[in-house]
Amino acid sequence: MKIELLQQPDSTIARITLNAGEEIVAEAGAMVAMSGNLQASTTLRQGKGGGIFGGLKRMIAGESLFLSVFRSPTPDNTLFLAPKMLGDMLHYKMGKSGLVVQAGSYLASTSDVNIDLGFQGFKSMFSGESIFWLDMGGHGDVLLSSFGAIYEVPVKGEYIVDTGHIVAFEKTLKFEITKPPGSSWLSAFFGGEGLVCRFKGNGRLFCQTHNAPAFGQLVGSRLPPI
Amino acid sequence: MDIDIRYKPSFATIFLTLEPGESIIAESGAMIAMDAALTMKTEFNGGFFSGILKKFFGGESLFVNRFTNPTRKSLQVVLSQSTIGDIAEAQVYENNLCFQPGAYIASTPDIKLGVRWAGLASWFSGEGLFKLQASGQGTVFFGAYGGLTSKQINGDFIVDTGHLVAYESGMKMSVKMAGGLLGSITSGEGFVNKVTGKGTIYLQSRSIDGLVQFLSSKV
Repeated sequence: MKIELLQQPDSTIARITLNAGEEIVAEAGAMVAMSGNLQASTTLRQGKGGGIFGGLKRMIAGESLFLSVFRSPTPDNTLFLAPKMLGDMLHYKMGKSGLVVQAGSYLASTSDVNIDLGFQGFKSMFSGESIFWLDMGGHGDVLLSSFGAIYEVPVKGEYIVDTGHIVAFEKTLKFEITKPPGSSWLSAFFGGEGLVCRFKGNGRLFCQTHNAPAFGQLVGSRLPPI
Repeated sequence: MDIDIRYKPSFATIFLTLEPGESIIAESGAMIAMDAALTMKTEFNGGFFSGILKKFFGGESLFVNRFTNPTRKSLQVVLSQSTIGDIAEAQVYENNLCFQPGAYIASTPDIKLGVRWAGLASWFSGEGLFKLQASGQGTVFFGAYGGLTSKQINGDFIVDTGHLVAYESGMKMSVKMAGGLLGSITSGEGFVNKVTGKGTIYLQSRSIDGLVQFLSSKV
């Protein structure tokens, strides 16, 4: 399987070339175009993170209940995948550590990647984030999407990210929700930064430069009420 | 201080490296990530009353955050805006710079931000009754929806309403119709903004008003 990202960072689309017997699972609605030979079906997935319960859990995490599966019966078939919003995509190869993905950022993964619902504790609820994150394991390729460009931070020690700008992070990183360093709790609330995520450890962290809810609020607050 | 604005023009984001002892003032909510060793302090936007003025008339927030590097090595802070679009930096010395409400993102510590009366003409052209003005000496960062283009003008220059992001102070603004009465209505240009003076102006290639108008008709 070959995965290429085109038109980065604002109108990113993934061009995936599949060999005979390969398959890829994608968020419902992500397919833009594909070879006529590809077999598309809908699944709730079997095994870990699959089934009805897995699907419902994905829904809780802000993902779709169903996933689409694209299987290539013949060599050299092409599939184009893209998210709905403007923005970037990230191609991540699963390693040993596992990946925690912000709800809503998942786009696609190869069939040996497990998707499960991770519970990051009530602390993340206060940060304005969903308390549920996707917990990805296994091996293979993962495609994530964002609003804004995605950039990688190789965390060694400590790093701070505003909640709402996290796309994904490796499970070797621990995080806590806290106030920004040097500020009081009062200023954390009035300063507009609110709470931040403090990452600790060594691992890769992926951030997005913009935040869809913030832009939605900016435009949405000026739209006429329905 | 090392300034690197990446992902221009659609997702422009400021990657700022602060040397030991340096600091930067940023609009509340602009910080998206930073090294954990930086400190953040929340302040009134230029004093309490000035802060209130800026909040209600300058389209800015009551508070700003000051990020300081108290360590002995270079540290990074990443700043962005809530709208997608371009970000520009401008040097301020004798030329004070005025902003459309909401455009300001960050500035070096020696920049003073104030609110000035912009006049009815400015309000009429969609730029607000008051304007935010940066004075002092240093660098200021501001953002737009769409791409940013700077233009040196000398004399009269016409800008469509909602597209003027920043301009050097001392310029006069007046509102006029794009053409004759009929022409203004039929061309879709309506009222335009006439800027008169000498200096630099900054234009945004799209306007949020335009997006809102388009979406409103689809809701």
